Amino acid sequence: MNDEKLTLYYYNDGLSRDERQQVVNMLASEQDVAKRYQSICRQLDSLAEVEVATAPPDMVERWHESINRAARAAVVVSPKPVLHTWSFIWGAAITAALAIGIGIGIYVSGDNASEVIVPNTLVTSSRNSNAFVRGLQVHLRESEQGLSATPFNSTADRTLLIMSIIEQNRLFERVAQQNDSDGLARVLRSFELVLVRLAADDISAQEAAELQTKLLFELNVVLTKLARDTSDESQTI
Amino acid sequence: MAAVMKEAGIPTTAEFHQAISSRSDRWYSACLRITRSPELAEDAVQEALLSAWAKRHQFNHTARLETWIHRIAVNAALQLLRKNRPGIFEPLETDVQDDSGSPEAAKHDQDVDDELSMALRYLSEIERVCFVLKHLEQWRLKEIAEKFDIEVSAVKQAIFRAVKKLRVRLDGMQGTRS
Repeated sequence: MNDEKLTLYYYNDGLSRDERQQVVNMLASEQDVAKRYQSICRQLDSLAEVEVATAPPDMVERWHESINRAARAAVVVSPKPVLHTWSFIWGAAITAALAIGIGIGIYVSGDNASEVIVPNTLVTSSRNSNAFVRGLQVHLRESEQGLSATPFNSTADRTLLIMSIIEQNRLFERVAQQNDSDGLARVLRSFELVLVRLAADDISAQEAAELQTKLLFELNVVLTKLARDTSDESQTI
Repeated sequence: MAAVMKEAGIPTTAEFHQAISSRSDRWYSACLRITRSPELAEDAVQEALLSAWAKRHQFNHTARLETWIHRIAVNAALQLLRKNRPGIFEPLETDVQDDSGSPEAAKHDQDVDDELSMALRYLSEIERVCFVLKHLEQWRLKEIAEKFDIEVSAVKQAIFRAVKKLRVRLDGMQGTRS
């Protein structure tokens, strides 16, 4: 009787009924086997009393905060009003969004030129508004890509992604609001409503798929119009 | 829908906070023993909490919320470990000693300095993880094998090697002989 079999007997796992019976018989009849088994038990038992490491307080605080964030993101929004108002908001707000260029005065970084549709040579009357639009384009494009790549059944991944998009979205919304671009702020707010709904854990896979498809479509529309309008603007200058 | 969820006994935000306050040290410790990295252990707990929150309507009250999150955290730690160190669960890995010299492991050793942790340093990754899952987390051999997509016999061998090494270490540390 080897120690491996005795170890499996100790764990009550990995032995057939016959093998277990064989061990029982050996333990009863062979003193040496019983002694070895006692030794295994004593040593493995001593490894069961483990010390618990204390998680640093700031770490624990981050965990609490992550639940708070998730709870905020999971606020259930009644889907009907969202879907009902969606087209209207978009219809009105996209136009406003495309007209924001001049009104934006705060520079939001858009250094990642490789991901920007707007040509580098584009110079408008306001460099800051161009930078904002570029930053917004990058944000929208990344959101689009992220959402496309996230499977509907991966709730945790989707929630994390959406929380991150919402955080970025709020940044752009705040800048737009501070610069009296209410139309754009409304567009971004309406995004958030859909995103929150998409992150809700009571959403069915079918609804998530439909909502995601619609969101991707709308993102694409905005990106296309932003790119086109910025391009038109550059040609006229 | 929100009202229905509450009536169904879905864990509330407060219950999650309470679970974090009372048990997060244990989740962290379990993840730390698996990953030997405070950063990965933190990430594992974080992922577990978000995952548990997202799936809270699936929570079965036959288990405690803390226990449920513990299990998810261990799984998250395993996933992170696998992602960060691909190939560590190759079944025929032989007596490759753990990375006890790395800064991450050194930090871990400062955080958890009991007899078991001392002994675990002398195991390979696959030995340590299989042993921790079997001995501390009480997983079935079959579960471990399925988790790593390896044969049960490979898990057994890893555990046998781990137990053998640990017993030698314990004999040395405690001066006892069977």
